[in-house]
Order: sequence, then structure tokens, then C-alpha cells
Amino acid sequence: MKRIDDKGWSPYLAGALAGIVMILSVWIAGKYFGASTTFVRSAGMIEKIFSAECVEKMDYFIKKVPKFEWQWMFVFGIFMGSLISSTTSRSFKCKAVPDMWEDRFGPGKMKRAGVAVIGGMVAMFGARLAGG
Amino acid sequence: MKELVYGLITGIMFGFLLQKARVIRYDKQLGALRFIDMTIVKFMLSSVFVGMIGVYILTDMGLAKLSVKSTILGGVIPGGIIFGLGWALLGYCPGTSAGAVGEGRWDGIWGILGMLAGAAVYAEAFPFLKKTALTWGDFGKITLPQVLGVNHWIIIFIFIIGGSALFYWFEKKGL
Repeated sequence: MKRIDDKGWSPYLAGALAGIVMILSVWIAGKYFGASTTFVRSAGMIEKIFSAECVEKMDYFIKKVPKFEWQWMFVFGIFMGSLISSTTSRSFKCKAVPDMWEDRFGPGKMKRAGVAVIGGMVAMFGARLAGG
Repeated sequence: MKELVYGLITGIMFGFLLQKARVIRYDKQLGALRFIDMTIVKFMLSSVFVGMIGVYILTDMGLAKLSVKSTILGGVIPGGIIFGLGWALLGYCPGTSAGAVGEGRWDGIWGILGMLAGAAVYAEAFPFLKKTALTWGDFGKITLPQVLGVNHWIIIFIFIIGGSALFYWFEKKGL
């Protein structure tokens, strides 16, 4: 296996292995990969803290019930898997501003945070509209 | 309970591979959008090709079922464009933002907060969208082999030939 320090594994190899993980998931658990529904369920869980009755009446939260299920754990697993992989290969690095961003927009953390929040909002709205 | 454990284990394996290939990084995601580094496209297409062969073998053997989403043009076309705008601003997608935080790139947390807000806004807009955009161009649950009326292995073969040509071109151009 290729392990050139910062380049990581070949994307073809890692991608093919991810494909095998997906096949096993479909076979064993009957689950296809996805992530964005988890954000809907989590948003619902957060809203429920403030107004449970309101959430229970909303169409979208009736369709996507705010609870922990397979996909929620899958997304949490991605965090864990990345943490394990990076800390065991010395590629974990605390960074608030990506290199490519810094080259173009400077090292300001607030600027990056603001654009990332707006980008996240827009991206999730679009993903949900497209059904993915 | 078993379902939750399966989800966690599958996620850990997937997150491990995403990190190993460095595809959860902002620089890689923006690199693809700027046509200067196609690492994420190589990863995605490789997993799609392996995945579609395996999943279709399973479905042919009656061991799995496809999970087909409805093709609704009124949702997919504007949704795709809006997603692309947001993705380019954030530099992470819903799954990879969790992975980015896992390897210490904690600007992913801003993305996660934004995405939670975006999901909440969508939930508010849903009753309206359900009556409008999500009724436009609804083709139901269709697949390419079904629409073209051919065996699914022909489509898979064509996809893999096309993908291989694309990979060859990426490598030749050093992308």
C-alpha cells in the first residue's frame, strides 16, 4: 500500500475499498450511504429542546423524525474514523483556516467562519431540495 | 440497537478511508471545483464503480434491494445549483465536514452549524416547496437501464469504460 507521507493513499485504492465497505453495508445492514438527512434530524432534535409541540406538527419532521438512527451513527463514525486515521499517521493538525483559503483570503478566522456558516446553510438547503 | 452499531462501524471504516485519501480536505474539494486536483473525483468514481458492480450482483441474486429516489426535476436542478454554490463557499460537504473536524480541521464545525441552520430553514420551507417546485417534472423512481430499456450490465460497462478514459486523461494531465 502506498503511504507517501502527506499524499496519503492512492484515491483509486481508497475509493475502491470504500466501494467494498458500501457493498457490505448494503448486504449486511441494507443501508446505503448518506449524510444530509442526519442534519435534518439533528436540527429537529435541537428545535425540540425549545418547542417540542411545534416540531411534532411540522411536515418535514413528521417525514424525517428527529431521532438517532443508522445514518446519524454513520456520520458520527466518519468523524471517529477520520480521527483514528489522522492521529495514528501524524496527519492530524489543528487548523482553523485551510491553506488554499489563506493563500487567497488571508489568515482571518472570522472571515472563514462567516463564509463557512453561510456556505453550510446554502449547501444543506440545496442538498435537501435535490433530495440528497 | 444493532442498526446503530452497524452505522457506527460503517462510518468509522468510511471515515478512515476518506482521511487516508485526503479527500476530506478543503484544498482537495476546492481543487476539484477549480479543475486543478481531481483527487476527490478519482475517489468518488472508484467507489461508485466498485459499489455498482457489487450492489447489482447482490440485487441480481436477490440479496439486496436498490434504494431509488424519485427524479423530480423541480427539486434536482435548482437543488443541485444551490448545493454547488454552498459547497464551494464551505469547501466541505455534509459527510466530509464531520471527517474534517476529525482530522483537526475545525473550521468544519462552522460548516456543521451552518448546515444545521440550513436544514431547519428547509424544514420551514418544505410545506411550500412540496406544493410547488417538488411537483414540477416528477418522473418517479426511475433508473437509466429502465428508461433506456436495456440490461443494467450494459450501462455499468459503459460507465466503467467512460470512467477509465477519464482517469487516463486525469493522469496524463497530472490533475
